[in-house]
Amino acid sequence: KSNQKVIQKHSLISPTSKGDKILLHFINQSGVKITTSVTEGASLLEVVINKNLDISGFGACEGTLACSTCHLIFDENVYKNLEPIADEELDMLDLAYGLTKTSRLGCQVCVQKWMDGMTVRVPRDVKDLRNVKESAENQ
Amino acid sequence: YLVCMNGVTSVSTLSPPSPASTVGKKKRELLSQDGPDLQDFISGELSEKSQWEEYRGNLKRQKGERLRLPPWLKTEIPIGKNYNKLKNTLRDLNLHTVCEEARCPNIGECWGGGEFATATATIMLMGDTCTRGCRFCSVKTARKPPPLDPDEPYNTAKAIAQWGLDYVVLTSVDRDDLADGGAEHFAKTVSYLKERNPKILVECLTPDFRGDLDAVEKLALSGLDVYAHNVETVRELQRHVRDPRANFDQSLRVLRHAKVAKPSVLTKTSIMLGLGETDAQIYTAMTELRESGVDCLTLGQYMQPTKRHLKVEEYVTPEKFAHWEKVGTEMGFVYTASGPLVRSSYKAGEFFLKNLIRERKTTSD
Repeated sequence: KSNQKVIQKHSLISPTSKGDKILLHFINQSGVKITTSVTEGASLLEVVINKNLDISGFGACEGTLACSTCHLIFDENVYKNLEPIADEELDMLDLAYGLTKTSRLGCQVCVQKWMDGMTVRVPRDVKDLRNVKESAENQ
Repeated sequence: YLVCMNGVTSVSTLSPPSPASTVGKKKRELLSQDGPDLQDFISGELSEKSQWEEYRGNLKRQKGERLRLPPWLKTEIPIGKNYNKLKNTLRDLNLHTVCEEARCPNIGECWGGGEFATATATIMLMGDTCTRGCRFCSVKTARKPPPLDPDEPYNTAKAIAQWGLDYVVLTSVDRDDLADGGAEHFAKTVSYLKERNPKILVECLTPDFRGDLDAVEKLALSGLDVYAHNVETVRELQRHVRDPRANFDQSLRVLRHAKVAKPSVLTKTSIMLGLGETDAQIYTAMTELRESGVDCLTLGQYMQPTKRHLKVEEYVTPEKFAHWEKVGTEMGFVYTASGPLVRSSYKAGEFFLKNLIRERKTTSD
């Protein structure tokens, strides 16, 4: 039994082989695409924070389901394969700005191998939307 | 926190291992020459106003960039007897301050005591963990923070009275997990304090209690002198900056109701600038606040507390802050404290006492 435990631990810290790295694309609130490569297990919030991705004001409550700042929008085909949503997450998600049918909180979604190559989006910035609207009106 | 001298960050590089004696000698030579001093890392020289006008760094954030701290925002790292004494007193009395929890840059100045020698500290009640996660605030958050300490009102009142302050600011986290949002607990602290020390001036910076006006009333009638509640930002950015459970109209209702419940109370609010608001939006917000009977207004520069929080969109110049102070005074606020490092309770005691003294002088003349 203790041998099994040791083996498990080693597989987590062993050098990555081709299959272990998962490519993720984040589109931030200004529409900029950020690509990063991670190993499975971490939550998307942890990825954004630990990899210092350029997403502003993300994860204010540090993953305790007390805010909705890690709100992410998924593609339909990814969304339907995510773990079912818990009530606590739903409570906070309901309050999120720019909520969509394929929205989840990043702190509750953990990276898995099958997510390789997926793109997630942060809702477009309020300011940016206003700028877009203004420039459209000026034309 | 660390600041750079003239925009240059010093980086130390690791040198390859060499015999201890040579390393020691080399190091000493380097350090004695141009090597940096601790003082070089602490911006001891707060720039003169003339140097601020010369500052050519970018003040408005462009896409993808992070703004550098302009010279007028560099503060001294708090050190010194008074600061340490206060820190120890607070720990001994088991008091939490928002000064520490929210990483306020003025901590050295306020705790050190200003020109009136009034040390101001803002005591945080109901724990150090909030039920909301706002994108500008670094106070800890949890869905269900630890339960309230029922002895806190009594102990806090006793400790503050013991401390011998002239002016104290009490604030709290949001406690949406409690039926009354903690209003009873908060109000009890104030009334116990006033019982022990009737002469002390008490300012309460309160949550919005989710709009529960009975809670607001309970607090307004607790014996406090100043009822403060922060709108934080202009109407248009509320959703972007604050927790979705908070909003501009709700905050205005809180401020209005405090006055209704106790007309003699002074109401106060605070706005952070630099989050992307426009001048017109600030002006409108100030007008709406004045119309809601708010007496005191403070305006300060938003500073990003951690990487989980909003980036600074703009560093507003000291001149611009002075402009808003003028606007506030013209609008009829009892006082408008406006400056990059001004915070809700920054020099609260001093401003209040200064005004009170001025008032008394004019009535006696």
